[in-house]
Amino acid sequence: MLILIFVPSSFAQEQFFQIKAKKFSYTPNIIKVNKGDVVRFRLVSEDVHHGLFLDGYGISTSAYPGQEGALKFVADKTGRFSFRCSHTCGEFHPYMVGYLYVSPNYLFWAGTFIILLLGFGSFIITMSKTQKKEGLKLFGIIPLNWQLELTRFKLIRNLLKSRWFPLIPIIINLFIFTVILFAGFVGGWGSGNYNFGVMIVWILWWVLLMLFMVPLIGRFWCMICPFPLLGEWIQRGKLIAVGRQKSWGLSKKWPNKWKNLWPLVILFWITTWFSGFFTVRPFATFILLGAIILLAIIASIIYEKRTFCITMCPVSGFMGLYSNFSLCSVRRKDPEICRKHIPKTCVVGNEKGYGCPWMELPFDMNRNTYCGLCLECFKACPYDNMGFFVSPFGRHLFVERRKTDDIYNRRSTDEAFKGLTMLGIFLSFFLAFQGPYGHLKDMVRATSLSGYLSYIGESFCIDFLLIPVVFLLFTFLSWKVSKNKEVKFKEVFVNFAYILVPVGLAIWAAFSIGIILPNGSYLLHIVSDPFAWGWNLFGTANFPWTPVFTGIMPYIQVLLVVIGLMFALDFGGKFSQQTYASMDEAKKSWIPILIYLVGLHIFFLKLFTG
Amino acid sequence: MKKNELIAILLVILSTIGTVLAIFAIEKFRRNKFYTVELLARAPNNGNWYPRRFTLPYGKEAKILIRNIETVSHGFALPDFNVAVNEIKAGEVVVVKFTPDKRGIFPFMCTVWCSDEHLHMTGEITVE
Repeated sequence: MLILIFVPSSFAQEQFFQIKAKKFSYTPNIIKVNKGDVVRFRLVSEDVHHGLFLDGYGISTSAYPGQEGALKFVADKTGRFSFRCSHTCGEFHPYMVGYLYVSPNYLFWAGTFIILLLGFGSFIITMSKTQKKEGLKLFGIIPLNWQLELTRFKLIRNLLKSRWFPLIPIIINLFIFTVILFAGFVGGWGSGNYNFGVMIVWILWWVLLMLFMVPLIGRFWCMICPFPLLGEWIQRGKLIAVGRQKSWGLSKKWPNKWKNLWPLVILFWITTWFSGFFTVRPFATFILLGAIILLAIIASIIYEKRTFCITMCPVSGFMGLYSNFSLCSVRRKDPEICRKHIPKTCVVGNEKGYGCPWMELPFDMNRNTYCGLCLECFKACPYDNMGFFVSPFGRHLFVERRKTDDIYNRRSTDEAFKGLTMLGIFLSFFLAFQGPYGHLKDMVRATSLSGYLSYIGESFCIDFLLIPVVFLLFTFLSWKVSKNKEVKFKEVFVNFAYILVPVGLAIWAAFSIGIILPNGSYLLHIVSDPFAWGWNLFGTANFPWTPVFTGIMPYIQVLLVVIGLMFALDFGGKFSQQTYASMDEAKKSWIPILIYLVGLHIFFLKLFTG
Repeated sequence: MKKNELIAILLVILSTIGTVLAIFAIEKFRRNKFYTVELLARAPNNGNWYPRRFTLPYGKEAKILIRNIETVSHGFALPDFNVAVNEIKAGEVVVVKFTPDKRGIFPFMCTVWCSDEHLHMTGEITVE
């Protein structure tokens, strides 16, 4: 396809680029032109049929070996645009990307300006505060202790108290995941972008998780997740009815030392080693999901209750941590009723419901990390004293360390590290899957063992050394400038690490936007032809790959990064006041973290648009 | 309560084993009813055409279901019967229809440069 747009301009310069396409990168992978230039591309394929679709401009061409493609356009839109392969060329085809820069990059500079302005504004506001205010307010407007009890409405209360909920959504999910596993199995090592399993899990599920489920309802996925169903059935001997409270399994206790997010920090990181396989190969998705399901069943037989969910499910860690940012939470309504109520049926269970499978204390819960929203406490409470609450973003992040030795209800190093490694994993994912670097893609998909091992090594250095050490340095500086020796350094480090919760959510949401907008159209194909057998269930099997809104995509991503920063700035100042008794120390201690946040976000902006 | 438990168990079985059985049943019916042969398109180092040789009855319309189960494009050409598909994209499924009106052994081949071994991606149809 040849597209000719000819606009005469006195300054226009004609720029010509010969782009060589080879699995799975372009040479040159980064092209720079100026606004108004007439740009000509010649696309040459060195192996198989490749395409080139230019984001934002919405134009494309393609080349077979020995038959080149051409593109001519006026670079009238500024910024950074990805050009991506538009013909399935191999398993890493969806990740075959190059960058076109049309300078001046207004978006990047405007974004940087906004970030600096926010940082400076936050600094002024912090400095002008003279005393601690009673009652925290989100952005100084919405009181953080504001809440709406959804269970006040009879319909919702009855729904949450019914034993069919969330069993029905779980069974619907069980059906979807049966199809996913089946598609993964029969899809073999073929192309992932035409497979139901790969697309539903890595395009739809992941994006829904990061954009909606986690920020809005927290562990909503855990509520409807089908994976622990079989194990729980074995433990209870009943699917929906309430039988005996004692498990039919071995009911072993997980060691207390490891009853935290550390196993999940490690496990999620190990899972990411294989991201170059299971996000592109149907059978690899099958192996991954199958392994998780098998592990869930075995763990349920050996260990008590939902030990699998708390300590072994790879995605449970970040969902738990990030759910403290979310709008929704399960809490007891009236503490007096709970105090007098003995025995506590939400913990030990009764004939209406099981004792908390997540081993929480529903009558005394004040954070979300380990509450899986399974809703058993609603069923087991004879006084209807459990409530489903909506409250402002981030409220549960402000729950401080308590004096009890309850490992659940406190800020902790493992959660701090979960927040830090999520930034590192984001960085590795972004560079490998949305970056233009072919050699990195070859490392991730393990074309050579040494390359693959060095990818794992690099990922270790980024996740566990680079990002934590940089953060450690800034918190250390913060601790030093406060000149308060009574507050322990560890407390400063841990408290400030929670600013990374909104930051992490925002950049993962921005990353997800970069998946769904260019590749969301595959979903129309795979729902009609889930196994690539030539089915056409809904008449959309021949819908071609159509990237949408690629022009405004960078703007949405910048907006998300900025929103993340706004929350982090707001929360950070408050964490600082929580950590230090005097306002003066809190102010001083906050400044290095503020500088860190501004720097970090300019770096994120650079990744997404600069 | 007993009744609810039975319904729940039934729903779980339907959504798992039931789903798999239903998928198999639909596919088996579809293949028997609509197609004569299923042909898998793969590059030579990856298994080549499968089956590479097959037989079609003379004078009866043949419907060949070609599935590209790979990650690169392939093509299909059967020159003796003037049948060709220019490009079968990765993951794509196409149906080729023709009536064998000659007896003998006829070659078919891939028509898209799919790998270095592309020229060896050939097969034979016997018409009896």
